[in-house]
Parts: sequence; structure tokens; C-alpha cells
Amino acid sequence: MASASSTRIDLPINRGEGDLELRIEMKDGTVEDAWSVGTMYRGMENILVGRHPLDALVITMRVCGMCNVAHLYAAALALDAACAVKVPDNGQRLRNVTLMVEHAQSDIRHAFLLFAPDFVNPVYRSHPLFEEAGRRYQAFQGSTAIETLQETKKAIEIIAILGGQWPHSAFMVPGGVASNPGPGDLLQCLHNLTRFRQWYERRVLGCTIGRWREVRSASDLDAWVEENESQREGEVGFFVRFARAAGLDRIGRGHGNYLSFGSLDMPETTSVVPPRRGTTFVASGFARGTTVEPLDPAQVTEQVAHSWFREYEGGRHPFEGETRPYASGEEGARYSWAKAPRYRGLPTETGPLAERVVERDPLFTDLVRNGPSVFARQLARLTRPATFFPAIETWLGEMAREKESRYYAGQAEVKSGRACGMLQAARGALGHWVEIQDGRISRYQIITPTTWNASPRDSQGVRGPWEESVVGTPVRDPENPVEVAHIVRSHDPCMVCCVHTLQGGRAVGKLVL
Amino acid sequence: MPLTLLWMQCGACSGDSMSLLNADSPGLLEAFGNLGVEVLWHPSLSAYTPADRRRLFADLQSGSRQLDVLCVEGAVIRGPSGTGMYDTVEQRPKKDLVSALARRARFVVAIGTCASFGGIAAAGDVEATGLQFHKEEKGGFLGRDFLSRSGLPVINLAGCAVHCDVVIGALTALKNGIVPDLDAYQRPVPWYGCTVHQGCTRNEYHEYRVEEKDFGERGCLFFNMGCQGPLTLGSCNRQLWNGRSSKTRVGVPCHGCTTPAFPRPYPFFQTRNIEGIPLDLPDGVKRAHYMVYKGMAAVATPQRLKDRKTGV
Repeated sequence: MASASSTRIDLPINRGEGDLELRIEMKDGTVEDAWSVGTMYRGMENILVGRHPLDALVITMRVCGMCNVAHLYAAALALDAACAVKVPDNGQRLRNVTLMVEHAQSDIRHAFLLFAPDFVNPVYRSHPLFEEAGRRYQAFQGSTAIETLQETKKAIEIIAILGGQWPHSAFMVPGGVASNPGPGDLLQCLHNLTRFRQWYERRVLGCTIGRWREVRSASDLDAWVEENESQREGEVGFFVRFARAAGLDRIGRGHGNYLSFGSLDMPETTSVVPPRRGTTFVASGFARGTTVEPLDPAQVTEQVAHSWFREYEGGRHPFEGETRPYASGEEGARYSWAKAPRYRGLPTETGPLAERVVERDPLFTDLVRNGPSVFARQLARLTRPATFFPAIETWLGEMAREKESRYYAGQAEVKSGRACGMLQAARGALGHWVEIQDGRISRYQIITPTTWNASPRDSQGVRGPWEESVVGTPVRDPENPVEVAHIVRSHDPCMVCCVHTLQGGRAVGKLVL
Repeated sequence: MPLTLLWMQCGACSGDSMSLLNADSPGLLEAFGNLGVEVLWHPSLSAYTPADRRRLFADLQSGSRQLDVLCVEGAVIRGPSGTGMYDTVEQRPKKDLVSALARRARFVVAIGTCASFGGIAAAGDVEATGLQFHKEEKGGFLGRDFLSRSGLPVINLAGCAVHCDVVIGALTALKNGIVPDLDAYQRPVPWYGCTVHQGCTRNEYHEYRVEEKDFGERGCLFFNMGCQGPLTLGSCNRQLWNGRSSKTRVGVPCHGCTTPAFPRPYPFFQTRNIEGIPLDLPDGVKRAHYMVYKGMAAVATPQRLKDRKTGV
């Protein structure tokens, strides 16, 4: 692989929720090429074949301990469709509140426990903000790290009050939710939410959500950071200053394609207004650069040319997909347990930044004018909770007041056929595709956000999103390529989700070494 | 002397780590500080340069750095065909690293049901198994005779996910030189000695056999909706989840996730019945007695429970 003048480095990356290795080829201090390797294969999808359709609610949550509510919601959406049942308003509100809380705490934990510790890497020893970064983000000790754990666990109590526990409670069922919170429960949730919001405004933004919303361009952002001490020293202000000085706005470009499946179905009657008119609070869409187009689900395909699965030509839509691992995991042209999802044949990143671009958010549209970056991705993640808090509060209040609306439409029969559930998990576009025959699951395919972002090359040899985004990165110390780590972590990897599964009860197939 | 701890993830979903981050009174970092636990490595939290990370693992494997507690989250993946190449670290099977470190550790702790018994990972076809059990059968990856350097077998902190209080409780015990009694499946009795049924707020409905057939109601879920609470050892309704609640309290049935058989091959939301009475009865209960008891309970049911008026 390595030519005479280039060096190959194998880089295991932790703080990516699961097992990820990146192979990079360096020449003259710059990344020339990269291969993203999902190194662990668990066989989740095929565990479902032969099981009762509602079992998908329980089992698919275990694809991911971090985004378990997202998987539950996707499975529930697919089953809603399979039962041809409509979720009543309070059921919709409860589903949405739990998913939004999962996102918000995930974004915060990612920002300060997974991403920010890299600011304490010895490579930044001469960065003007290095010592302050250490005080805030040192693993196990930083002040922001400690506060993050304290505050996010209180937010997560909301999911436990409404759904039983977090992680891993299957409280969403076809037609709504199994739980029935009373006004006492809902008002307690409001207390927890208020506490989380106030901490977020005080510590993360350093201003009110209302003030943050007025930042609508890159120059607004610069002015906002310097406007007062609270904003300057808040986590967003600190991030902007550290990241700019470290050049994080100039690395991590990639293809510049963005995907959102849309998320959070709106109740019929509500005073919450989605940022873009539509049936979901978070808009769906696909963007090439800043040109946004409507989402067409039929354009989603998965390719396996560079994955260790039995070969099929081109790409297959998940309804036609199959998952049969083929190789032993040894390297060569095939190098990853992850498949290569493509939208209309194009590799595309997904996540909070993609949501903002698809939504035509003015600040982020401005920031990605010359392409995405570590800076834009991470800023989008840090500020996404601000877009959620007001809606969560309103929906909790509506649930507490609206006694007539139900949480569950009642038992419905699961029909044979195909159904899908597509939404946004915290890390981006998530889809479940199910086929039901004779009352049992006959096929189940899952594409997770990290499957998109961590994708290997496709049959055209086109690199996946983060493979592409690390190419051209200058690396100060090849023994310690923190720049590459920033880029990968800016996509918020969840490798446990990423890799696909194996046919239950069937022989694996021959090893190819 | 701090207790050194290394946390590894194998065929995992991270649910147990997520659960651990929710710890309150003590919080996780507080617990580690108070206990004097030095976390050498946790995949979600540690920040090492690649060189330092390699050195750490080399020192632990050679024994030049002491390893007190090895925590393994997730099932050990042995496939395909025993090579372990479905789960690698730097192109080598992760199972080999588990083996090497287990030999060094004073205590080996399986975190969660996948590491304890194989769990969900073992339901697939990647030859996944627990550290010292494969479902109910003792053996698993390390073998039935494995003892860690303290002389203990693998301690199984089962649960899908495991409860954070259980992990902190068990580590606290080990740090204080208290070895808890282990049950037949090597789960520590202080946290696995009572059933999930104990403490469920639907207990009155259960007592008077007010049994639901659909979601969204207040009654008991045991007879028809798949609840395994009366059959499952776990502290969900005693220690509560996230300091607040549990699945059964909100109307989601227990799936028996602390048991070696989890996930069972039967539908999670249906109870297998004989003549309307569950096939699986609580430990030690005789069917004939149970039928009489439940028959009388149904006759004694007050109207307020039949009408689902009493809250849960």
C-alpha cells in the first residue's frame, strides 16, 4: 500500500463509541489517502429474522446504547406503517420529547467527553488556550466534563419518567406509546428540562437561546463571541476561539453532500412551529453544497464492493439488501465490515450540520459556503440543543394540559408486506427497512448514520465521507495525528451501530484469506 | 494504593457504559475518586496518544503494570470459524487481548448480559459468547475452570443494560475487600437476590389478577403481555432506573434481561399460557396451588381495580 516516499499509519480511534480504525497514507506531512475500517461485526439485523414483528422494538434498541431511543422510534415508525395506524397527538408528543432529550444529552456528552479532550493533546502545548482546555476537558477531571455528567443524567431522567428507563426501554409501540404519564410526571419533566436548559444557556451558550438565534452569519458569530464575557467564556465561545486558532475551520472538508431523513412527526394540533413548514419538526432533504432538494427515499442504496460481504453489483436498496459476510476481515480491496450507503450514487455526510444545511439555516449555510469543516460540524452539534428546548417545553406543557388526547391508538394488526421507518438519530439519518411474511419478520435491514459517514469506497472507488474529509490534512506529528482524530470525531462516530449483521442459523460461508 | 481498572468493549452496544454514566449518589467520577479507582482505560472516556495507548496495553499484557480489575462489556466474538476476525483491534482478534488481560487481572468482571452469558450478540451467528457462560452452560470464552488471580471466577453483573448502581456497588465491594456471595450464575447476590416484581407499582393489580391484554393500561402485564418480572432476578423496582422509574412501572413488560437465556426465542410482548395461566411460574410455585390462588384473587377483585381507577 505505501509507496517509497509515503508512510502508512494505522490509527485506532477511541471515543467513537465502538471500534474504529483509520488507515492513512501520509506524504510530506499531509494525508494522501485514507481507509475507514469498521472492525467489529455483531450480526444484529439477522437476529430478527423469524421473530415476531414487535420484537424489533426490543432488539433494534440494542444496536446502540447511545441512540437506543432513535432505533426504537425508527422501528416503531416501520411498525406504524405495517399496521396502517396513526399515532394520536399525545403519543406523538411523548415520542418526540424523548428523542429530542436523547439528542440533546448526546450532543453535549459528545462535545465535552468525546471531542473536546483532544484539545488537551500535547500537540496543542503552545496553543494560547491549551491550559484552559485542560481545566475544562481533561479526561475524568475537567470541570466541564464533570458538569456534563451531572447535567445530562438529570436530563435523561425525563426519558425514564416518560418511558421507564434509559437506555433500553421499548416504550414506543405501533400506534403510540405504552406509557401514560400523569400531570405530576409531566411537570417533573418540565423541572428537569428547565434545569438542563438553564445550565445550557449559562454554561454552553453564555446567553439566552433567543440571543443565539440572532446569530445568522459568520460575521454575526465573530461579533457575538466578543460581545461580552459570558459569551466569550461560554463553551461555544471557547470552542470558536480554540478551533479558529487551531485551524479547525480549514480541515475536514469532504465531499460537501448533506443528508437528512427528517424527524419528529408533528402532532395535528400544537403551538410548536417547525423551522421549515412541513410534517416533521426537523426537515428532510439532500444538499449538494448549499443547493437543497427534497428527499427521495428510493435514492438510498448500499454497496458492498469494498466491504467484507458477499458481492452484489452496484448498489441495492435496503428492501433488496442482504447481509452475508464473506471474508475473514483480512485487508485487501475489501477492508471494512461497514457497507457503503450512497444517495443517488453519491457519498453523503449526515448529522447536525447536514440538518442545518438542509433547513437552509443562514449561519451554517454561510459557514459551509466553501465546504464543510470540523468547525462547522462541531458548532452545529454544540448548538443543536438550542433548537430543541423550546419545542420540548411546549410539548410537555401540552401533554400536561391536554387530557382528552390519548397516547396510544389501540391494538392493530401487523400486515404482511414491507415498511420502513426513517428519521434522524443524534448522529444523523437512520433507517429501518422491514419485510413481514406470515406474521414474522422475513427481512430487516438497518442503515445507521455512522454507516453513511464511515462508509468505505463504493464500486466506483469513490471514498466515503470521512475518508474524503481527511485527505489533504496537514499533520504535525505522524506519531500523534490529532488533526485526523478531530475530523473523524467531528462526525460523531458510533461504530457499534455501524456494522451489519449475519443470517441467523445459516453457515457463514467460506473464509477468503 | 489505587485500584487499577481497565474497561474493554467487545461485541457490545455501549449500553452498559451509557448506564454507568447515569450514576448518581455517587456520580461516576465521584465514585472513582472516593474509591481510589484509577481507570487505566475506558474506550469512551480515555484520551491517550496512540503511542501511549500501545505502551499501556503492552505493559498490562507483560505484567509490568498491575491490573486489578478487568471489566469486559459485550460478548467475546470468536467468529468466523474460531478466528475471532469479526472483532479485531489493530488487525488482531480482540478475543486474544481479552484472554491475555484476564490472565493478569486480580478480578474479572463481566459487565452486562452479553459479557456474562452471550446475550443479544450470541443470538446471532458470529460465535459470540459470555466470558464464563454460554447462556446457562458454564464455560463460555475463558472456560469453566478459569479463576482470576484473586481466586474468583468471573463476576457476572448481568442486565441489558446493567444498572449503574450494581457496577458501582460491586466495585466498591471489591475495593473494600468484600467478596459478595455469587449465585449459581455467578451474579452477586446483594444485587440479584430479589425479583423485578418486587417493588412494581402495579402490585395491587397483580395481586387481584387484573391482567391487561393491550398496551396503555394500568393493570398487570404478567399473564398476557410477556412480563417476566416475577421470574427475573434484578433490582429494577428496588433501586429504580435513572433514580426515577422502571419499565414495568410505566407499562413496558420486563424481558428477563438479567437471565442467561436472554433474549428468549419467544415474542417479548406475549406470555405463553396454559389454560389462561402463564406457562412459566415464579420460582418454587406449584401450578395447582397457583391456579387456586389466582382463581380466588380474581373473585376478590375490588371494583376500583376492575375499573382501573387506582393509579400506578
